[in-house]
Amino acid sequence: MLDLDQILKTFNPGTPNEVRALRGVSLRLERGLFVIIIGTNGSGKSTLLNAVAGTFLVDTGRIALAGQDITRWSEHQRARLVGRVFQNPFSGTAPTMSIAENLSMAALRGRPRGLGWALNARLKGEIRDRIRTLNMGLEDRVDNAIGSLSGGQRQALTLLMATWLKPELLLLDEHTAALDPKSADQVIRLTHEIIQKDRLTTLMVTHSMQQAVNLGDRIVMMHRGQVLHDLQGAERARVRPEDLLARFDQVRRREQLDPAVAELLQRSYV
Amino acid sequence: MSLLIGASTIGLILALLALGVYLSFRIFNFPDITVDGSLTFGAAVTAILLVRHVHPVLATLAGFGAGFVAGALTGILHTKFRIHGLLSGILVMTALYSVNLHVMGKSNLPLLNEKTLATAAEHLAVRLRGGEQDVGILGWSVGLRDLSMLLGAMGLVGAVGGILYAFFCTDLGTAMRATGDNPQMIRALGVSVDFVLILGLALSNGLVALAGSLLAQYQGFADVQMGIGMVVWGLASVIIGEALVGTQRFGFLITGAVMGSVLFRLLVAIALRWGLNPNDLKLITAVFVFVALVAPNLVRRLRTPVPKPNPA
Ligand SMILES: Nc1ncnc2c1ncn2[C@@H]1O[C@H](COP(=O)(O)OP(=O)(O)O)[C@@H](O)[C@H]1O
Ligand SMILES: [Mg+2]
Repeated sequence: MLDLDQILKTFNPGTPNEVRALRGVSLRLERGLFVIIIGTNGSGKSTLLNAVAGTFLVDTGRIALAGQDITRWSEHQRARLVGRVFQNPFSGTAPTMSIAENLSMAALRGRPRGLGWALNARLKGEIRDRIRTLNMGLEDRVDNAIGSLSGGQRQALTLLMATWLKPELLLLDEHTAALDPKSADQVIRLTHEIIQKDRLTTLMVTHSMQQAVNLGDRIVMMHRGQVLHDLQGAERARVRPEDLLARFDQVRRREQLDPAVAELLQRSYV
Repeated sequence: MSLLIGASTIGLILALLALGVYLSFRIFNFPDITVDGSLTFGAAVTAILLVRHVHPVLATLAGFGAGFVAGALTGILHTKFRIHGLLSGILVMTALYSVNLHVMGKSNLPLLNEKTLATAAEHLAVRLRGGEQDVGILGWSVGLRDLSMLLGAMGLVGAVGGILYAFFCTDLGTAMRATGDNPQMIRALGVSVDFVLILGLALSNGLVALAGSLLAQYQGFADVQMGIGMVVWGLASVIIGEALVGTQRFGFLITGAVMGSVLFRLLVAIALRWGLNPNDLKLITAVFVFVALVAPNLVRRLRTPVPKPNPA
């Protein structure tokens, strides 16, 4: 379904600010798989999602999705296949436009846009119906500007927008990290429901070990731009939050032991 | 009275300029200087075609098309060649100065004996009134010519404003508004931000050129200097319009830009009547826009106390 083959990405190459953000990531997931990505800060999780979404083109490596080689596709071309929710609740919606207008744009994700009316009575009715399923009372406010909503409400709507047309791949980048615990819970529950209902192939980044263990079919742990652990099958089924934390500790201890040696080891393994 | 009607007519014609500037500055947040060149470009293309006896409607549409191409060019310089937005506009505007001179063949092209949209409106009015030259309105005697221009401009601007509003309600127009609001989001929904920006700047400059085209027909000549400072002029109208309607909804803002343009023209006409030196007009306009741009920030800063520097 999604096939990443030896992805390399270096930011600002050849400058003092050079960052080797992805150092040969390979990942393959079957249709309908829900994969959780965890990892320390700066380990390249967001960069990996951005590489798949096409925010930038990768330096080397190959990306295939739904049977097509999308390595050189631009971001807006990939949007036909990919739905996305960002970490920042402000990123996923147009704030001065109404809820209905935002969703009407999502209803055409990846499709040509012409001179038909963006909103007709039928679409507006459908928008109300789907928003009602969020249980946030927003169905009566579809003409309000999105900018007036809370972060949790925005993320819920962004999730609805990303999945309005069933995407081949859903990308979620810590989409609850900026929310208060209650909203985060609500959005996570919603995420789970939508993914289950539509059997969506999903890559979700989270910093919460609890979420990682409760959700998803597989856990990928990244470190320094590489996949460090990939827990599947029986190993995945056994894993508890403490085990994941222990693996983080392990990484941290190794780093502290001798950063220079760690770097050297990394390099010789890449 | 005739002064006020004349000022309103020019205000209405330049409302198209204001709509163009609203599109680039407010929808895209793109400071597009192309405007100064494309206004003249529209006037020049229309004027030379009228001199060659092309039908006024065709000549006017060609003026719009000229501005459309100029705006698209600015958009392409910015998106495809990654040239700074301001500089892209300056490049096209500067190039247009020479192009306009070539189009017109000289720096000023009179349209005194040509058939234009203005003369067409006048003829129509004369025919409707059965030959009378003056019309009484509220006890004032108003020249039929002046009145027909005003009504003609009103009809045209109303139609263009309506079309623009309708466009913003379509799928493409909605995507265009969202592009200015949140490019990251609209890209993630599969829209090429580059394409939309190019199209938007093309439309914007098409409107501006249409204003130039109508202005040339109204005043009876095209002049290579007529676009200078027009971008600030349009911005002033947009800002006045925003103050008048006081909302973010684009339907109101479109109406506001039109009203702002007319109001601004009326104020200018009155100020000139009171003895304002016409040479100071652009200076005053620039100062006005400056004040309108910084005033909201200034007020905010005055309201929130400045934190005292920490002695430690
Ligand atoms: N656009 C960029 N330009 C330069 N450096 C970047 C860019 N995006 C990410 N990085 C760097 O790449 C590394 C990985 O970042 P990121 O993928 O955001 O980490 P995380 O796992 O926390 O999401 C970091 O060192 C970050 O500073
Ligand atoms: Mg991140």
